[in-house]
Amino acid sequence: MHFRYLIKELYYRKRRTLTATLGLSIGIALLIIINALSMAYREAARMPLKEIGADITVQRNGDVPEELTGPVFACSAVTIRKQEVDKIRNLKGIQGFGQALLLWVFDPDRFSIVLGINPGDSTGPGVLRNHITEGRFLEKGRSEALVETAFARQFKISAGDMVSVSDKEYPVVGIVDASRTTKIAVASIYLPLREAQKIAAASKQVQKVSPFDPEDVNILFIKADQGATRDVAVAIKHILGKKSNVSTPDSFLKLLGNLFALSDKFSLAASLIAIIIAVLIVFKTMAGNVAERAKEIGVLKTVGWRNRNVVLQLFGESVLQCLVGGVLGLLIALVASFGLGFMEVSIPIPWEMSPTPHFLPGGGDPIFKTLQLPVQIPWKLASFAVLLSIFIGGITGGFLSRHISRIKPSEVLRYE
Amino acid sequence: MSKEAILEGMDLRKEYGTLCVVKGVSLTVEKGEFISIVGKSGSGKTTLLSLLSGLERSTNGRVILNGKDITAASEDELALFRRENVGFIFQSFNLIPTLSAWENVALPLFPVKMPEEKRRSRALDLLGQMEMEHRVEHLPSALSGGEKQRVAIARALINNPKIVFADEPTGNLDSKTGEAIMDILKNLHADNGMSLLMVTHDAELSKEADRTIRMQDGEVVS
Repeated sequence: MHFRYLIKELYYRKRRTLTATLGLSIGIALLIIINALSMAYREAARMPLKEIGADITVQRNGDVPEELTGPVFACSAVTIRKQEVDKIRNLKGIQGFGQALLLWVFDPDRFSIVLGINPGDSTGPGVLRNHITEGRFLEKGRSEALVETAFARQFKISAGDMVSVSDKEYPVVGIVDASRTTKIAVASIYLPLREAQKIAAASKQVQKVSPFDPEDVNILFIKADQGATRDVAVAIKHILGKKSNVSTPDSFLKLLGNLFALSDKFSLAASLIAIIIAVLIVFKTMAGNVAERAKEIGVLKTVGWRNRNVVLQLFGESVLQCLVGGVLGLLIALVASFGLGFMEVSIPIPWEMSPTPHFLPGGGDPIFKTLQLPVQIPWKLASFAVLLSIFIGGITGGFLSRHISRIKPSEVLRYE
Repeated sequence: MSKEAILEGMDLRKEYGTLCVVKGVSLTVEKGEFISIVGKSGSGKTTLLSLLSGLERSTNGRVILNGKDITAASEDELALFRRENVGFIFQSFNLIPTLSAWENVALPLFPVKMPEEKRRSRALDLLGQMEMEHRVEHLPSALSGGEKQRVAIARALINNPKIVFADEPTGNLDSKTGEAIMDILKNLHADNGMSLLMVTHDAELSKEADRTIRMQDGEVVS
């Protein structure tokens, strides 16, 4: 292969080179963008759970409380038994585990959402320890409370004050800004899980609707292996039965309803179409190239170029042209992904995961997690796209070489 | 094959389906000999040149070029053989439009492993002999017909061929430029002792050759 000749052919036959290169680059850019968008929506769908340090949340639907007095369970979060929790904890593919107890507490003077949490859990509301605005986070084994910023502002509560939950006083050790961090498991008051379990177990309203033992809970936060999330979700549903409500990134994707978010098959089909069109453009251009250069190829053979010399030369042209197309496509995709990164996406949070009762002001409003679409082009996707370009160049060059080998110098030079 | 022969064609016959273009032609070119083949359009002279140079396979007969029987050689063997022994000059020059004058001259050497500077040096030397030093970096599109043919002649000589095949080398040139090109060919033949086989339909040009072969309807008539 003669590199100078190769470069000059591509340079001086600008129209042909540009057609093939741009055609391929647009196809490659589309391939990258479609896949990057698909991944971005998937990543976005993980966010509501990711910010609470989990991949899966588990609740169980039950009956509506008969009376809204004292501590009650939301109908979307009733008892999950300790035995069930233990079974779930031992499922294959689980990396991290957190449990909590959500209560609506209708005290005579005010309503509060109480969430009992294990301060040591790294999965679940334990991650709130990074969002303390005043005082400190809960400590294990202590009977104390943490208050959410908005609730603290409304009732003028500061760290060091006392807060009353179901007739029991708890020292407020800190103020946490949870609502800006997460839309899931936001409460007014955070108590140690053990304290919340005692309150629930002692509540007649709770026991009437959903029998509860002091070691039971009503929300689970699970961190699972990346590839095992779906299997774990299925297994949990099997353990908890029909009334279970298992939220995964997939369930958020479905709520998003976006075409890119709907299925891998759409992305795959769109990518394939983009590539097929690009390949057809390259093939058509290169086939025209061979027809146009038949006489030139005849001259090369006449002056002593062997078949493989000619094939290698055209193969090199094809591969280089497609490589340039691939790199150009990658650059186009990088620019496009930068632009798409400014797009905002609002992920709806299912009502079951909203801790606020629908009958309270703002309780029935739809909740969205709004974030900028995290569009990124992973190096694996970028490398794949460029390698695919080279492969297309190779295939095209190989295909054309069959035609080239049939060209006889005497036939193309005869009719001058 | 005679001791002095560089090329020998024996009973060459070429058929395209039912059409017989060359009908049992035998021809010998001796070392240093300048032969012209004349005949009207369609008389089979270009086909005969293609058969003798190994560009085309005969239906029947044998070709011995520089002592080697090329009749049954493969396409690649023929290409290699042409590169080492044969030069070609065409009526329409057949230069590569994207390569400069010196690169066109060096074209037969591109597949040969050698330093680029050596190729360029050899090409520039030949272009100098053709008085084309001032046009070495020009593309064919920037050259006149006569200049293009000079480049084509230089290309034919890059591999020090034993024999040069010229097919109507002045066919696309005006008479003055044609004469100049003929002078170059005559000088090359006279100075280097190179064998030259030229196809032409111009009876005047054929007089420059040592020997003239006339063809008609695929046969040598004189």
